[in-house]
Amino acid sequence: MSNLLSLSDYLPEMILLGVILIAIVMDLVPATKRFTKGFILVGLILVAAFLYQGDTSASSLFMGMSAHDPFGTFFKWLFIIATFFVVLIAKYDDGMDQSIAAEFNILLLIVMFGLFLMATATNLVMVYLAIETVSISSYILAGMLRNDIKSNEASLKYVIFGAFASGLMLYGFSWLYGLSGSTDLTIIRDVLMTQEGPVFVVYISILMVLVGIGYKLSMVPFHYWTPDVYEGAPTPLTAYLSVAPKAAGLALMIRFFTMTFTDGAGETVANVDWTVLIAVLSAITMTVGNLLALRQENVKRLFAFSSIAHAGYMLMVIPVISTDSSAAIMFYLVPYLFMNLGAFFVAIAVSNHTGSYDLAGWKGLGKRTPLLAALMVIFLVSLTGLPPTAGFIGKVYLFSVLIKHQQFYWLAVVAVINSVIALFYYFRIVREMYFTDSDDTEPLRPHPILTWSIISCVIPVLVLGLYWSPVIDWVTASLKMF
Amino acid sequence: MYQNFAPIIIFVTIGLLLAGALFIVQSLISPKFNKGGEKLATYECGEVPEGSAWIKFNIRFYVIALVFIIFDVEVIFLYPWAVVYKSLGLVAFVEMMIFLLILVAGFAYVWVKDDLNWVKLSVKYGKGRYSELAAKEESSP
Repeated sequence: MSNLLSLSDYLPEMILLGVILIAIVMDLVPATKRFTKGFILVGLILVAAFLYQGDTSASSLFMGMSAHDPFGTFFKWLFIIATFFVVLIAKYDDGMDQSIAAEFNILLLIVMFGLFLMATATNLVMVYLAIETVSISSYILAGMLRNDIKSNEASLKYVIFGAFASGLMLYGFSWLYGLSGSTDLTIIRDVLMTQEGPVFVVYISILMVLVGIGYKLSMVPFHYWTPDVYEGAPTPLTAYLSVAPKAAGLALMIRFFTMTFTDGAGETVANVDWTVLIAVLSAITMTVGNLLALRQENVKRLFAFSSIAHAGYMLMVIPVISTDSSAAIMFYLVPYLFMNLGAFFVAIAVSNHTGSYDLAGWKGLGKRTPLLAALMVIFLVSLTGLPPTAGFIGKVYLFSVLIKHQQFYWLAVVAVINSVIALFYYFRIVREMYFTDSDDTEPLRPHPILTWSIISCVIPVLVLGLYWSPVIDWVTASLKMF
Repeated sequence: MYQNFAPIIIFVTIGLLLAGALFIVQSLISPKFNKGGEKLATYECGEVPEGSAWIKFNIRFYVIALVFIIFDVEVIFLYPWAVVYKSLGLVAFVEMMIFLLILVAGFAYVWVKDDLNWVKLSVKYGKGRYSELAAKEESSP
């Protein structure tokens, strides 16, 4: 579609841009300064309303740059929910610098805009632009606590790793462009299909593209930034980073690999065996994440490694070239969003009381604040993947893909062993909460909005564990890609 | 498809040869004496540099540089726009106004946040490394 016509399918993004600009100006005018956060929340609801209104057909926008399809829309919903929760909660984290709260929210919206682009990009140039929009805003957000030396460290490490990963990815893009003479993903596929002779060049470009996407997913061996950035960044941002950019990275990976590196009939393009590569990387990712999480004493670092392990679980099904694997990942992301956000929100509530994120601060929480402790247990049970929570159903779908297509049985075995390892460190938190006593017996009093956000995160985790067919229907309807 | 890369290889080879040739030629014809004094100065016919250039710059210079970029980019985009304006008409006008609006929002941000002043009077130090600094500044005047 031509540029001007495309705008009619681009209403949510345009409204989001308008909200960003108006929010910047609102924060500058003293009279409207205190309404900024409310305006952003209303704006997000407006974006959601227009996303709901948008048509469900699949079309190509801006002359092949970007796609408008149910697949992208599914991910956009996840981004909106995550951003809404984080904007809502950010004010109630005592570690946040309140003088820059508006900037924090606005930068989050810019990240969200980048995520929208990432989930719909169908052109190499657009892929790179989207990843950079997300990354550059995230670098600033990670260093948002200017006077906190850990936050400075997080930002710097994030920038250096990010720059290096983007550089390698761009180099891979240049190989793809050199091979095909086009930046359009489908045209590149058509050229790769006609490829005869050595496929060495295709191997290199796939590897390089994997570096850029793997960095966003914190896939091993590109995970080194994750614990430090998660620890130093403001906690609401940590919660956001562990959910939204990861979902966008997976969306981009599914789209990129199905559009470019498969032939459309369940085979890899040009006989390049990238499926085995991703299977091995996924096994390493989940094992490294889980093993390193075992001895963490800082809750934020623990969840950083846990998020690496979860990236490994989701990558597990990508080697199976089928729509089943995209469906399993998309289904898993829904409970993952709620349980990870919820767990981080409980961590915020605890650290508001203790002033740190040490695991020792959780001692005796079961007696001091039974409600928070009980909610945390539900999140942890779901993160481990035990019934009757949504995390269990998500894991079942992931495993069933491998079993159904009778490929990579060994990967399923590795994942099961990893789930058992994960049980150990998640239940270390439970042990601290229920089986150790603390000198501090004062109950926690989190702000009501924080409490209600945690409760509204727990509802989907429990409900989807018992009745998940609406979500699976939604996922199946969203599989249509342009 | 590999032969498509042949021009690149030829290009690189000629480039390397040319660079090597220049080194050889200059070592043959350059004078082998009188390499001191003025010849080795940074600017042969200008100011004598004082001290090293490797010093810490005030961070405010970077803010100024960033603000400069806002307007520099704006002006650079306005030139080609002005050239083709007649043939594009209203669409070009609306597009450029949206672009300018976004930049004006950035300009307003810089202005209100006091980044156009060299001495930032409105700066507030949060808790952390510089909280002692804030206490000192409050007591001094």
